[in-house]
Amino acid sequence: MIDHHIFEDLQAKIDDEAAVRDELHDIVQTLARKGRSTQAILSRAHSTPTDQLKPVLDDATKEIIAQRDEVSRLKTVADKHPFYKYNGLWTRELQNLVSSIELCAWLGGLEEYKTDSSASFLTIEEVGKFLVPVNLKEQDAFHLTIEEYLLALISMVEELARLAVNSVTLGDYTRPVQIGNFIKDLFAGFQLLNLKNDILRKRSDGIKYSVKKVEDVVYDLSLRNLIPKGSAAA
Amino acid sequence: MATPTTEDQPQPTNPIISMFETFRDELDEHHDRRERLIKTSRDITALSKKIIFSLQRYPSQSPNPPPTHKLTLKTALPANITKETTTRFTQIHTLFTSILPDLAAPPNTWRYQRQLSSGIQEFIEALSFHHYLTTQTLITLPEVQAHLPPQILVTEEDYLLGLFDLTGEMMRFAVTALSAGNADTSTGGEEGGEGAVGLGEEHRGIVVDLRDMRSGFEGLSVPRRHVMFKDMGKKVDVMQGSVEKVERAAYGILVRGRERPKGWRPDLVVAGGGGGEEGY
Repeated sequence: MIDHHIFEDLQAKIDDEAAVRDELHDIVQTLARKGRSTQAILSRAHSTPTDQLKPVLDDATKEIIAQRDEVSRLKTVADKHPFYKYNGLWTRELQNLVSSIELCAWLGGLEEYKTDSSASFLTIEEVGKFLVPVNLKEQDAFHLTIEEYLLALISMVEELARLAVNSVTLGDYTRPVQIGNFIKDLFAGFQLLNLKNDILRKRSDGIKYSVKKVEDVVYDLSLRNLIPKGSAAA
Repeated sequence: MATPTTEDQPQPTNPIISMFETFRDELDEHHDRRERLIKTSRDITALSKKIIFSLQRYPSQSPNPPPTHKLTLKTALPANITKETTTRFTQIHTLFTSILPDLAAPPNTWRYQRQLSSGIQEFIEALSFHHYLTTQTLITLPEVQAHLPPQILVTEEDYLLGLFDLTGEMMRFAVTALSAGNADTSTGGEEGGEGAVGLGEEHRGIVVDLRDMRSGFEGLSVPRRHVMFKDMGKKVDVMQGSVEKVERAAYGILVRGRERPKGWRPDLVVAGGGGGEEGY
């Protein structure tokens, strides 16, 4: 004898879950739209000399703050549910946002969120202070995971490698050296990790190509004595 | 603007390095836990399969079962089978209990849900099959949960996918039962006349139940964005195949049952149609 309530209950649960997914999906869509506009603004850095970057960074910061509002809206809804049940829905957009934040910070923006104003990037704790809690292990609530933070750093590295090339075109021969030093430090960091065969492994394997790309630029510059004297670790 | 770091200090004091060292420890902990859970899930799957096998042996292999015991649902299983399944269920319970420390932190039940899911589904298949044979009803989700430590998460998806697999087990059971049951009918027929030829009460029951389950499954609508969406299609196909096999088998028994030689079984390879790899 088959009790049909079993199937009715299941259908009710499926419908509930679909409703939650739809609600979250809508917010994530908005976040994604704003994310694209942040990235569009930040990409202007590739064609803007360093001394004229300020307005670009201000615009980018404005968009990033708007995205942060969206994230807190997302957090309010997501916190009603188990974190890891739905986090796949927004992880991509959250990574993109953190990557934008990091790039903006590296270029000199978001100064007030850096503990050390000379720092070139935001540590996971600093991102946590700015955006959402990070790496919550004992509490089932919305947060940025370590993996997401690391993936965001990798995207930033790729963007910086591109920036190294474009800086030279803009006549800035110092920045490639700074970029080279920074991503080599990050590369050394990534090499400390024992990665499994997952997305993090796949993406972090790409860092060495970014490092090489920048090294080639620095090599070309130093060969021709184009690196200004006294600049960073030339 | 980024300030270049030109430290010549020893590695550990580099802030990037020390940050990554923390990450390494955290990720190692996560990967270790993940692997432990995957291994346990596999062990649970293996034990569940053994339970299913011994339940399937019930119609064909119980040595000289008393007539009342022969293939009847809703009664206690023979002692030798009960003994085996009880041991296995206890072992599974021990395995579930052993992973509780890894799931103690609140986010972890969902964080590692995917690692445990296949073991839980197989367990549900075994448990629901056992439940069906002894009660002729479908086990409910709360009843499944009652068999597990409360910290173990049983999702609706796992439950539903476990029930899909149950139809396959019911099919196998029904086919064996129909052929064995038919032997009774024909010996009964010799004694009691022609009217006795037909499906026994239980056999008709299992066919009707499978048909009901099929209509229940087919009535579910799963939206495209739902996690279950991609698993459903294939499961539905296999389930439909199983139901049809049993329907054909029942038909074969009714139509040709009287003429069939001893030991004859419904020809499923021909009659079964779709879902061939599930053939018995």
